[in-house]
Parts: sequence; structure tokens; C-alpha cells
Amino acid sequence: MIKLFSLKQQKKDGESAPRVGNQKKASAAQLRITKDINELNLPKTCSTEFPDPDDLLTFKLIICPDEGFYRGGKFAFSFKAGPNYPHEPPKVKCETQVYHPNIDLEGNVCLNILREDWKPVLTVNSIVYGLQYLFLEPNPEDPLNKEAAEVLQNNRRLFEQNVQKAMRGGYVGSVFFERCLK
Amino acid sequence: MASPAPKSPEQSEKSKKYDRQLRLWGDHGQAALETCHVCLINATGLGTEVLKSLVLPAIGAFTIVDGKKITEEDLGTNFFLDVDSVGKPRAQIATQLLLELNPDVKGDYVDECPEQLLENNPNFFTHFTVVIAIALSERVLIPLSKSLWAANVPLIVAKSCGLIGYARIQLREHTVVESHPDTQNPDLRLDRPFPALLRHVESIDLDGMDLKDHAHVPYVVPLLKCLQAWRSQHGGNLPANYKEKENFRMEIRKCIRLNEDGVPEAEENFEEAIRAVNFATLPTGISKDVQDILKDDSCINLTSKSKPFWIMARALQDFVANEGEGLLPLRGSLPDMTADTTGYIALQQIYQQESLRCAEIVHRRAQHLVHHLGLADDLITEADTRLFCKHASDLAVVRGTSIADEYDPKTPNASYITQQLDDPTSLMVYYVMLRGVDKFYAEYNTYPGEFNVEADIVKLKGCISKLLGEWGCTSVAKDDYVHEICRYGGSEWHSVSAFIGGCVAQEAIKLITGQYKPVNNTFIYDAITSNTETFTF
Amino acid sequence: MDIGNETLGNQDHLQRRWSHLRKLLERSGPFCHPDFEPSAEILNFVMSSCKVLVIGAGGLGCELLKNLALMGFREIHVIDMDTIDLSNLNRQFLFRIKDIGKPKADVAAEFINARIPGCKVTPHYSKIQDFDEEFYRQFHIIVSGLDSIVARRWMNGMILSLLSYNEGELDQSTLIPMVDGGTEGFKGNARVILPGISACIECTLDLFPPQVTYPLCTIANTPRLPEHCIEYVKLIQWGKENPFDCPIDGDDPNHINWIYEKAQERARQFNIGGLTFRLVHGVVKNIIPAVASTNAVIAASCATEVFKLASSCCLPLNNYMVFNDVDGIYTYTYEAEKNPDCLACSNNVKTLDVKDGNMKLQELIDSLCENPSYQMKSPGITTVIDGKNKTLYLPLIKSIEERTRENLKKTLNELGLKNGSQLIVADVTNPNTIIFSLRMPKENDMVVE
Repeated sequence: MIKLFSLKQQKKDGESAPRVGNQKKASAAQLRITKDINELNLPKTCSTEFPDPDDLLTFKLIICPDEGFYRGGKFAFSFKAGPNYPHEPPKVKCETQVYHPNIDLEGNVCLNILREDWKPVLTVNSIVYGLQYLFLEPNPEDPLNKEAAEVLQNNRRLFEQNVQKAMRGGYVGSVFFERCLK
Repeated sequence: MASPAPKSPEQSEKSKKYDRQLRLWGDHGQAALETCHVCLINATGLGTEVLKSLVLPAIGAFTIVDGKKITEEDLGTNFFLDVDSVGKPRAQIATQLLLELNPDVKGDYVDECPEQLLENNPNFFTHFTVVIAIALSERVLIPLSKSLWAANVPLIVAKSCGLIGYARIQLREHTVVESHPDTQNPDLRLDRPFPALLRHVESIDLDGMDLKDHAHVPYVVPLLKCLQAWRSQHGGNLPANYKEKENFRMEIRKCIRLNEDGVPEAEENFEEAIRAVNFATLPTGISKDVQDILKDDSCINLTSKSKPFWIMARALQDFVANEGEGLLPLRGSLPDMTADTTGYIALQQIYQQESLRCAEIVHRRAQHLVHHLGLADDLITEADTRLFCKHASDLAVVRGTSIADEYDPKTPNASYITQQLDDPTSLMVYYVMLRGVDKFYAEYNTYPGEFNVEADIVKLKGCISKLLGEWGCTSVAKDDYVHEICRYGGSEWHSVSAFIGGCVAQEAIKLITGQYKPVNNTFIYDAITSNTETFTF
Repeated sequence: MDIGNETLGNQDHLQRRWSHLRKLLERSGPFCHPDFEPSAEILNFVMSSCKVLVIGAGGLGCELLKNLALMGFREIHVIDMDTIDLSNLNRQFLFRIKDIGKPKADVAAEFINARIPGCKVTPHYSKIQDFDEEFYRQFHIIVSGLDSIVARRWMNGMILSLLSYNEGELDQSTLIPMVDGGTEGFKGNARVILPGISACIECTLDLFPPQVTYPLCTIANTPRLPEHCIEYVKLIQWGKENPFDCPIDGDDPNHINWIYEKAQERARQFNIGGLTFRLVHGVVKNIIPAVASTNAVIAASCATEVFKLASSCCLPLNNYMVFNDVDGIYTYTYEAEKNPDCLACSNNVKTLDVKDGNMKLQELIDSLCENPSYQMKSPGITTVIDGKNKTLYLPLIKSIEERTRENLKKTLNELGLKNGSQLIVADVTNPNTIIFSLRMPKENDMVVE
């Protein structure tokens, strides 16, 4: 056990001699995201874009599925990790309008590890895989876009056609989708 | 542009000011607090710390009884005295500075020695909701304890001695409806389904559902269906042991839909049903604590003096014996579970309605009892019985003992104390030390070590040995502890007082609001190791 | 010990006011710290030399300031970025109705200084992030009563960054203990952190309960609880309708009212009961219930520990105490364990010697890969320059690699790296990021160590 202060130790003053290492240190969130990013092991369908290479907390993920309903499309997600990362998950939004049961028209994504099932041991990589999976296996059970989910559940052919229509750019029902083919 | 919203009635200044605590004890808890009157005997550092944490949340009123004049030493440990006040009455200054904390609270003081006041006006203290006594010598403590015990007014005694703190609650009987347990199993009654629940579940055809609906039926439905099937095949019995429960889980798992490849679909509701097997197959019963309440003399033999709590307890007992068929009224709350809205809400309403039906019966029974006892019809409102029934499974009654009895050497605490003293981690040793300090003070009129540590170690050891002898304890006074206590010399550490002050204030709030369970009945704090322990005398 | 007037300088600690504390500090006892030597000098140190920083002037902060002032501390600083709100007054006892809207730190300091003569509380109405290492280094002990995990983690990072090591040995004069308290309703905890020695905030991050969240699809499609309706308005409807052309401000009654109305509509639509204004307010602002008593207990416990650390009169709490007075009074004291892989405190800054600032980044990377004790594969390197993060090179991320490739040819000087600059290096060969502190001989530095 250490004894902290000897009585000989007098006032600590602000003007104590500067020492090595007196520059601002990176935050724990920064240390962790650096690790996450450097070790991103992206599937070949995914790529990242960093608008500012000095800001690793803010970036885009581009997914171009090569199989499934969404094959040929190109979908962008914005990632923003806050100062409380990894205690809190990064905020992820879909920036491409997509006809998808688990993504609504405002870009909200229903993926458990983005909210209720997030744990600090998970990484950016886990989220990338989660998102990629959403395009391979859209889940109509827990929908965010109810109409799309119902179509998927009742008529897979029609769903496929709607996805194509949306990706080519055009109306599905009364909603207009921007073209997002690769 | 948004339309201006109507001003909510809940946004009063008062509810804003007290918002953070109203979320804990509710408006009714607050109302109880605001109508109480607390008495503090001796406005020491510890005393004002207790009152501070009662004035802030807004007790109705306080009265300080203290005949001392403020000394320099007082200033070093009491925040509610100021430098200019040395020589002035401690009760007066403390009252002024405490009142300044919260204009919603009334306060007054009696600048008189508590001993004299008790002698001249023995009933003075019996008019308060709670009396809190600090640094009281045995000579005053014992008669005060007796008087308040007789008057059924709770008394909390607290001490701050160097690095050791102490609090003792004396109450005859304290009843708690809302004990706010941290964890609680839901009250689902799957082993004893009430008719409305059974009808509802039987009306649901799981097989005829499409996958989406099937995966969004609240788990209670498949769980109860499976349980009914199990019981019809097992002579009406519930799965009782580990193996049976495992088999039962398998039965539920079989109900999960398969996709065209024969792989089970992801149905979270069924997973929840499987996880719920453990508690849902426990027979619904009545806990020992609640059974004891229902069997209590006060419950069985009502009189016109019975408290509403006991009248409702009796109504509850009658319900259990009749309409309840051995069970308490249904709690009526349904935990959240994977489900679609309509399925969940329908089930929730079935639970709520059954719970209201039970509460109505209990209320009628309570009204009948009130009438029979010749009491006022509005003594127990429908809201009272509803709250009582909702919390029927966590009712609590605390019956205490008097300090006068505890201090009587003839009382049978000796073996308890001896046993605790043999445990080197027990804080009982400090209880014995503090009793020794009381005895020392009674004999020498100073605190041990106040002036001379070495000499007082011997004297304090003598006091403690005498005490242990009186109790018939075989233990001896441990030298280290005696030395440590003498080192304190009766000094008061502010941070120790602040710790005990916070604890005592919270215990007082529990007694006043009738919510949360109080300490029963002695609490010791050791600031050296940051440990605490509760003892029951 | 020599207690001449020369060393004392000030006789305040001999005042009768402090006789309570003096008994414990001038007498030996069986349960003292093994190195404790009773002396009048200790209180003199507490009163005239020991500098304590209190972080937060809220529920815990007010109590801490009072407790420290009455335990003899005089050189106290307090930082708080908030102003006083009506809902603070049920527990933050240094504030009155007339103070609403004023900075908490200022009002609290003024009150304490007026009540306790000789005590000199210095207020800082600012964020903890507004101060640098020089500021924090002046304190002997830091005690925090915060309601934010981010702020705790920041402070934790700060005190860890102040540590310095000589040949791998911690220089104890650079260690600033942190005592941290937290409360929620009738529950609370107090802990002592000896940075670099005992478990730090980051080691035990999982002790903080995760925020309550609900699945987005439940909120959107199958609401069952009133909370689901409120979250819907907050997360989805607000963004769609944007009623006030700004993000939600939990302190703006118009915002809360709007959310209340819309959530009520939604609850009605789905036949969900139990939606009250209080609930809406609580969910939107993430309100944590608070009472005076729990704050008093936890702050008292923290103040006791500060005093123990300053005076060595007892061993400090080792190192975590939880408190709960829902059912009786329950406490549990245990030793939270240091996480050997902790992101923050297992990261002893390693020294990396470079010959001078003319070294190129590529050469530095090569040396990390060739160095037998590191043998890195493809290190990614970032740094902090003037408080800003800067990515030097990340080989594995195409878009960054392309834009940082140029840096490889630049010298350390050109990249703004100096003697003492920290490099944050991530590589597959290590489970954690490693921090290197660059050591390069200064051109006009003639001092030889």
C-alpha cells in the first residue's frame, strides 16, 4: 500500500515543470475506434468512406450486395461513434432510400445490436456483418416498413419486383425511390 | 407549427421542485411527508445532518430541543451554525439556518435541556410523528424510550463517535403496503388460471395462424396451452423437478413453427415461454411473511381501534379463505413481452380486470368490517384497498423492541451478542464499545479519551467488562478496539455524521411515508473499513 | 517531527474548532495506516497545502463541498457546467429559489466560503474538457460526483495521462487519486481509484447499467408500453414532423408538451394505458430519481476517503462500496479488479526512441515491424496534435490509405510530431491499441539525464 503524501511535499502549484507527455491524450473512445477501424475485416461487398481521415468516429459504409433481393444495389450507411463508445453503440442511419422491411423511409434501421442488444465487446465489424445480413435475409417478422414486410410475407415475387423497381428509381405505391443501382 | 399544448396539471411548481423524489414515493408519499412533524433532540453536527435531509424533501414541520450554547468545537462539525453564533443557543441558530433551506417547511425550537423538558412535560415528545435523539445520555434515553414506546411514537437514536456511526430504531409496530422490492416474479397464475384467462387462451387457435401472428402471440398463451396439455397427461401435476421441466421445455419447443426446410423459425415469443418455465411452473402461493400477517392477532381480532392496515389485512384474509380459494388477489400487472399490440393489450386487460374484480371483493369485505366495527364509512377508500391488493404479496409488518428493554441487563441478548463477538468480521464489537462509552459517560461525565487516552483505556475496559458481566457474556473487551475508541475521545467526524445523518433521514422517511422497509433495528457503520451491519435486538 | 513556526506558518489548524479532527490526527491508533505518524503537521497539510478538486456541484457536489470544508480542507476547486434548476432544490442544499439560472459552481462556492471562514472554494463554471493537464496536475486529490459516464471516462483518461513512469516504475508523485461517487434513487456507490494501481473507470465499464432501450421495430409497429409510444415520438415522429425546426431540448416545456400530446395520441390509438406527463418527461430527459439522503450518504463516504488519502490516518477503501437502503440498509464493500486488458490503464505509455525529427514515417513503421519486441504486421497510426485527432497512416482502410499514403514520405517534424508526442498504434499482433511516447533528442537540449 502506498502512502500518498509525505508532509515534506509542499504545495502543488500550477507552474510545476513541464514534463514529457504533456500533450492531450486520445480518449478511450478514440483508442477503441482506432483499433476497430484498423482491424475492419470487410466482406468484399462492403467498403468504407471517411470524409475526414483524421476523424475515425465518423464515416460511411457502402454495401453492394452480390446476391439476394438487393443484388446490384448500392446502399450507404452513416456511422457516428460518440464519446461514450463502446459503452453506447454508434449511431447508424441508412442514407439511401430503400424498400426494405427493416429499414424505414427516414433511414432508421431495426437491427438488435444497434440498440437493445449492443454490448461493449461488439465492434464496428459486428455491425457491418449485421447490416450485410439484413440485405441477404430481410426479416418480415419485426418490420420497420410494415408495407414492405407484408408484401415479403405474402408474395415474394411481388416483393422482388418492388425491390427492383425501387432500386431502378421509381414509385412503389405512393413512395418514390431514388435510383441506387451500382 | 405545433399547436400550444394544454398546460398539464402535473406541472405545478411544487411537482417540478420535488420531481426527482416524487418518482420514488409518489404524490401520496409526499403528502404524508408534508403533514408530519419531526422532533430533533440535540442539534449536533449529526442532528442537523439528519434534519437537512428531511427539510429538503419537505417534511411538514420540525422542532429542535436543545439546551446547549454554541461552542467553537461545534463549528468544526456542524454546517448549520455560523461563526458569529458562538455562545448563542444552538437550537435557535440551527433552526434558523435549517429553515432557510426550504420555505415549504415550518420549524421551531425549545432552548431547554431535553432532560428537564422530559421531566417537566412528560408528554411533550409524544405529539410528534417521529422523534430523533442524538447524543443522549442513558439517564435521559431510558425514560424517553419508555414514554415513546407507551405512546407508540417511533424513536430513532443516532450516534457519531470518531470513525464509528450508530443508529437504533425503536418502534412498536410499523406496517408497510408499498415495500418496493427490487425484484419480483410476475403474478401470472398459470398454475391456477382464472376463468377469464382460460377462456381467452382457449379461444386462440395457434395452429390456424400465419407465421407472423404465430411469432407475435404473447408467450403466456402458448405457455398456458402447453401447461394445460402437460397436466392433462400428468394427472393434473405441474412439471416439478429438473427433468420434468426440461421435458416440458421440449414440449414448448415442439410448438415452434418450422420453415419449408424443417428448420425452426426464429420465434422470440416461444423462446420467452421457454425461459419463463422456471418461475411459471412454481405453484402460486402466499409467502411466509404475508401468511404471518394474515394470521396475526391484530388481523384476527379487530377492534374499533384497529388501524386501516389491519382491517384491510382481515378483509384480505377473508378473501383468501373464500373467493380467492387460498390465493391472494391477482396483482394485475403484465410484464412486457414480445407480442403484437392487440394480443398484448387484450391479455393485459384480462389481468387488469381480474385484479379489479378481486380488489372490489376485498373492498366490500373491508367496508363490511368497518361498518361492523362502527367506524366511519370513509375510513378506507376504494383506492386504499386497490393499492393494498396490488401490493398484497409484499406487505410487511415490522415489530420492534424498546431501547429501555435492550438496556435492561436482564434481557436475553447475551447469547446473540456473544455469538456475534466470536465472529472477527462482525461489527458487534462496536456496539459493545458504544454501550461502554455510554456507561463511561454515566460514571465519569466525560467521554473516554476526551482528555487522557492512556488512563481512560483502563477505565473504559472496566466499564465494558462490567457490562459483559452483567449480560453474562463470556467475551472480553478487545484491547485494540478499546484503544481506538479512547483515541476518538468523543470527537465527531463530520463525514461520519453526514453518512449516518443520511441513513437516519431515510429511515425516518420510510416511517413517515409507510413505504420501503426500515432497518430492524440497529445499524452500525465502520468508516475505517467502509462496512456496515444490521443487528436485531 | 520538527514543528517549528517556520514549517507551520499558519496557526489556524490549532483553533479549537478543529479539535475533533486533531484528536484523530495527533493520536496513534491500532487501525491506522502502517505509515501513519500522528502529528499536528497533518492537519496543517490538509488545511494549507492539500489541493482538492471537486467535479460537479450537483447533488453529490454540494454535499462534498460542505463535507470537505468541515474536514479542514481549504484549497478546493469546483467545476460544473450547469446552471441551477428548480428541480435541483430538493437535494442541492446550497441553492435557493433566487439562485435559479445562476451557475452551480459559483453559487456553491460563494455559500461555502461565507459559511466556513478560511475555506477558499474556487469555482469554475465550465466543462471538465475546457482544462488541460497543467490544470489537473495541480491537485493532490480529485473527487467526482457526476451523472455522466462520458465525463467520468474523460476524467479517468486525464488522470491516467498524468502518470509518468521511470524505467517502468510508476513515479508516485504523478499519481492523483480519484474518489468517485454515484447515486440513483436509494442506491449509490463510492469508490477509490489509484490510477495505474487499482481498477479504473474503464476497467469496470460494465458496472454502469446500459441505458434502457427498446427494439426499433417494437416502437414502430407493436407498441405495448407507454414508453414505446414516447420513444416513437422522440425517435421517429419528431424527425418526420420537425415541429420546432430543431433537435429535442428536454428543458424546453414546449418540446415536452408536444411529445406528451403526440405520445398520448399514439397511446390512445393503440389502447395503451398509463401514459402520464411525468413519465414522458422522465423518458425524454432520461431522468434519474434522486433524494437528499442517498446523496448525503455517498458524498460522506467519498469525503471520508479523501480525508484518509490526504492524512493517511487509515487505509483507503479498497476499493468499491455499493449502498442500497430500499430494504433496511445494505452495503457491500469489495475490491473491483483491474482489467489487465483495460483500454485505458493497461496502456502504460511506452517510450519509443527515435534519432531525430528528420526520420520519415515509413522508417518509423518499418522499425515497429522489425523491432523484436513488437514485430508488428501492418500498424495503423494516429496521434493527437493540439488536442485534435490526426490519422498518420492506416494501411488497411482503402479510402484512408489513399489519403494518408503521402505521410509515409514525410518526416516526423513535417507531420508536427515532437519530443513527447503520443502515437496511438493499432495492430493485429496486440489486442489493444498501444500508445508510444516519442523520445527524440532536442537540438538545443544540453541536459543529459
